[in-house]
Amino acid sequence: MRTGAARGQVGHFHEAGFYSSDAEFRALIVPFAEEGIAAGEPVIIGYDDRKNALIRSWLTDLSAVTFPADSGVYATPARAIAAYRRLFELHVAQGAGQIRITGELPNLGDGGIFDGWDRYEAAVNTVWQDFPVWGLCLYDTATAAPVVRDVVERTHPRIVSPSGVRRASGRFQVADFQALPPVPDPLEQTSPMIELVDRSAAEARRALAQIGRGQVTDTILDDLLLGVSEAVTNALIHGRPPATVRIWAAPDRIVVSVHDQGRGPADPLAGLVPAAGNAATLGLGLWLIHQLDIDVALKHADDGFTVRLRGGTTTG
Amino acid sequence: MRMIGPVGSYRELGLQDHLCWVHGDRGDYRPHLGEFFRDGLGRGLRVAYLGSGDARMVRELVGRVAGTGPLRSGKAVRVISFEEFYGAEEPVDPAAVTKRYDAATQEALADGYRGLRIGADMTDLVRAPDRQDAFARCEVLLERYSSRHPLSAMCGYRRELGDAVAQFACLHAAVPAGLTPFQVFACGDGAVGLLGEFDQACQGAFERALRRIEPAPGDSTLIFDLSQIQFMDHHALLSLDSYAEACPVPVIVRSAPPLVRRAAQVLGLEHLGHLRPGDL
Repeated sequence: MRTGAARGQVGHFHEAGFYSSDAEFRALIVPFAEEGIAAGEPVIIGYDDRKNALIRSWLTDLSAVTFPADSGVYATPARAIAAYRRLFELHVAQGAGQIRITGELPNLGDGGIFDGWDRYEAAVNTVWQDFPVWGLCLYDTATAAPVVRDVVERTHPRIVSPSGVRRASGRFQVADFQALPPVPDPLEQTSPMIELVDRSAAEARRALAQIGRGQVTDTILDDLLLGVSEAVTNALIHGRPPATVRIWAAPDRIVVSVHDQGRGPADPLAGLVPAAGNAATLGLGLWLIHQLDIDVALKHADDGFTVRLRGGTTTG
Repeated sequence: MRMIGPVGSYRELGLQDHLCWVHGDRGDYRPHLGEFFRDGLGRGLRVAYLGSGDARMVRELVGRVAGTGPLRSGKAVRVISFEEFYGAEEPVDPAAVTKRYDAATQEALADGYRGLRIGADMTDLVRAPDRQDAFARCEVLLERYSSRHPLSAMCGYRRELGDAVAQFACLHAAVPAGLTPFQVFACGDGAVGLLGEFDQACQGAFERALRRIEPAPGDSTLIFDLSQIQFMDHHALLSLDSYAEACPVPVIVRSAPPLVRRAAQVLGLEHLGHLRPGDL
């Protein structure tokens, strides 16, 4: 039994709202949370520490409210999807008729950091469809760049205002969502330390290990090694030759690109959720790459498909 | 100390080393075999050549390569026919073969030697594809046996076997460098050791090697030691997980390097569930 604006809806009821002050933020979030608390629905709230403290002070009963303690939930889009799926499964198993979730993506004002989160906002329309979830995504107009506002309107079927007015987003793209092209890394404009053409995954790993040792932490280097291995394997098996690996290094960071001349995965959700069926398919390797503590960008272009991996500090 | 991993030389092998030696032809193999035998004799081992063909000619050959002159039975250098160890039945019975290796090793010890050293060119025995599985299983058991008993062996395989060579090579503790990206070897405590790089490129070979590993009779668990792994991707980890699912006893993995632990954590493996805390 679902309550509130999502009454009678099936699957993920996905809304966005914009606020420009704490008062507007409160006007958006308090009715959403209080209505859920009154209906006995689990309420999941994921903002930064300051906003979480404000919300705690505004709500009457926090016993049904979860503030995910793990700030790493939003480390990468794929991990956020997986972490929330596990939470939803738990609540549904405990009999929840609806789960209310509200949160804010991290560091939106920080230029290229939005990379990949546009795909997240598009993907959750599909991948959370199995659950009675009401998702309210709030964006601060002070930090959300125009490109972010554009993505929000294209990825949320409904928009709610601080005054409580709900409207359909006229720009919502259901299946034909066009992801933002990844922001180029300055290092990519320079000559790579090494370029390997049609070489094995093992050779790519050896080159990366040699260049990356001491440049980034062992933990990040391990993630990059796992990532490049999966990306090269995919390029060799599923891509169109030549498969080209380029590696750049700067103090405290490594950038790797794996390019082939094929079209890349057609599925707009590729990498964000595990592929169904055969584990040996392209999907699981790409999904694994997205679970790592490295920045991952997929680029579809006329000259082929590129997986870019960045470890260490993500900008120069 | 057993020699584990890729090796560049057949020299300096100890009492329990199990080496795969790949060569072009018999003429290429014999000098190495001779050195292997002379080294064994110097270590106080009984050495034995496992072969087939005209017994007199083989004895003369082995005496020559071992530098001992004409052989006399029951002494330090022996010639044993393939049939004596591997029997006449098809396919060969790996457990029965291992018992014969054990009996010969115990006999050498009883005769006052420090152990048994065997050299054999396996090429003709394993040439037929339908015999290869049973012989590979023999190698797995021989590897396990030599890790705990004073049996050292140099198993020769000729290059003419093509891709089949790698499937035998990967089941030896010591192999020529560059022949196989990974090895499955026996640890001294009964665990199965994995060494090298495991990725999609050798996925089929790894799964085939896994199919040839069985828990030792009477063992309540099967332990995989992952400490020598340089790299393992999700394909190989899922293969190991599937193996664990089908294994009749619980599979335990230990000493996984951080990179392997990381990949396993991301994959949320289900069937390597009986893990020692902190190992994976």
